[in-house]
Amino acid sequence: MQLPKDVQKIINAQIPKLLRVPFEKALQEKFETLKKQMIDEFLNHPISKEISDGPTASNSSGCLGGYGNLFSFIGFEEDDEPLKPILEQLQATNFKYSGEIASGVKFSIILPTAKEIFEVTPMPWASGRSWAQGIESGISGLGFYLKLKSKNSRSGEAIQTSVKGSARRFKNQQYISVLINKYTNLFAQLK
Amino acid sequence: MIEQFQHRATTSFLLWFDNFLLRKGEAFSNQTGKFFNYADDRLDSRYKPYGSAYKQWVTDSSIPNAVVPSGVHISGTFVPRSNSLIIDFENGRVLASGVAASAPITGSFSVKDFNVYFTNDSEDDLIVERKYIQNSRISSPDESYISPYDQVVPAIFLSSDSMKNDGFAFGGMDTTKINMKAVILAENAYQLDGVLSIFADSYNENICNVPFSGHPQTEYGDLKNGSYSYANLKSTYASNTSFFINSVNASKLTDKARTTLTDNLYVGFLDFEIHQQRYSRQ
Repeated sequence: MQLPKDVQKIINAQIPKLLRVPFEKALQEKFETLKKQMIDEFLNHPISKEISDGPTASNSSGCLGGYGNLFSFIGFEEDDEPLKPILEQLQATNFKYSGEIASGVKFSIILPTAKEIFEVTPMPWASGRSWAQGIESGISGLGFYLKLKSKNSRSGEAIQTSVKGSARRFKNQQYISVLINKYTNLFAQLK
Repeated sequence: MIEQFQHRATTSFLLWFDNFLLRKGEAFSNQTGKFFNYADDRLDSRYKPYGSAYKQWVTDSSIPNAVVPSGVHISGTFVPRSNSLIIDFENGRVLASGVAASAPITGSFSVKDFNVYFTNDSEDDLIVERKYIQNSRISSPDESYISPYDQVVPAIFLSSDSMKNDGFAFGGMDTTKINMKAVILAENAYQLDGVLSIFADSYNENICNVPFSGHPQTEYGDLKNGSYSYANLKSTYASNTSFFINSVNASKLTDKARTTLTDNLYVGFLDFEIHQQRYSRQ
């Protein structure tokens, strides 16, 4: 037996409303798993790990050819927490109900863009430049030298040539843009 | 090696940058002054150098109100450019032959507010390591010549950082992305803010694609054809595929970092991403 068309239409119109809550619940679970995976991937990235190890870390990411470490190279102060603003942005990733579609509902993912992350990661010595973007496009050793110069001017020492050499080998690496692109695609596939 | 894409990009960017700063910012001052004879052992023995107090004069006659000299006054008589009188715009001087060392020489010219240089030096070398001669654009009563060849401040150092091709269209067309950088060393915050503001607004500007041969200056720093106009140069090469500025980021060295520098300069940075669509494998 087939239901009359007007009845079918009324039922179809009610489906999204009835499905929103169970769909949202199911999505929430998958979303949180993926979000955690994204944050873990960020924290376990060689660049993040080296920076979070602070000024005494070794150059485990290899971006300085094994010399020195990124934290000092970029010129952060000892008590700086450079990863914190990125982590806050990633943790703010969320989703919201954004309307009905045929026989279902639609949710939008709110994920920071790479540009938004670059805006909250200023170089310690030039606020308009992003260190996170610099990891991808290149960073000069300026922060390192400025800190060294400031320290040496107090102690009256000159910049040592061996130290100078170690700060000249920055090798660009993929970092935030690739992570955000990857998870933008993965979040879009959530069903 | 024949001219490559990167060479054209560099030439084109340098000429565009100079014109944009002078045109948008009117970043020059008109000067009239004495020239001083000095010894220069790098120079051909036929010529004696007579230097003004300022380096890098404006060469571009498309800049409104700029005075681009075509000669100087020697003992009160105007002597135009010739084989015996070369105008070295780069070093702010004239090279004359057959003129007494003590001959009084005067001239009028426009001086750029910023010397513009192309460099391979890193930012740390430019900012931390180097010591600069200040060639202030404010006239002083005990005026003398400025030594040739050395780079002086206020200055802007341009460099090309990296180049990358990304696919753009079927058939093998790529977008070539070039990162160009500028380090600005200014005498005061006003100058620095001015330059950063001018170039922050250069987003989406087109840059005329000029080959090496289009560069207007000779090895002596004079103009190849006696005059140069960037506006005319653009018309000449209008059919070449332009570059465009996809993004530009302006930033300043923080005051805390600046105070560690001994020469008390105001330092800023411009990071350009320049694109051109092209068939890179043809």
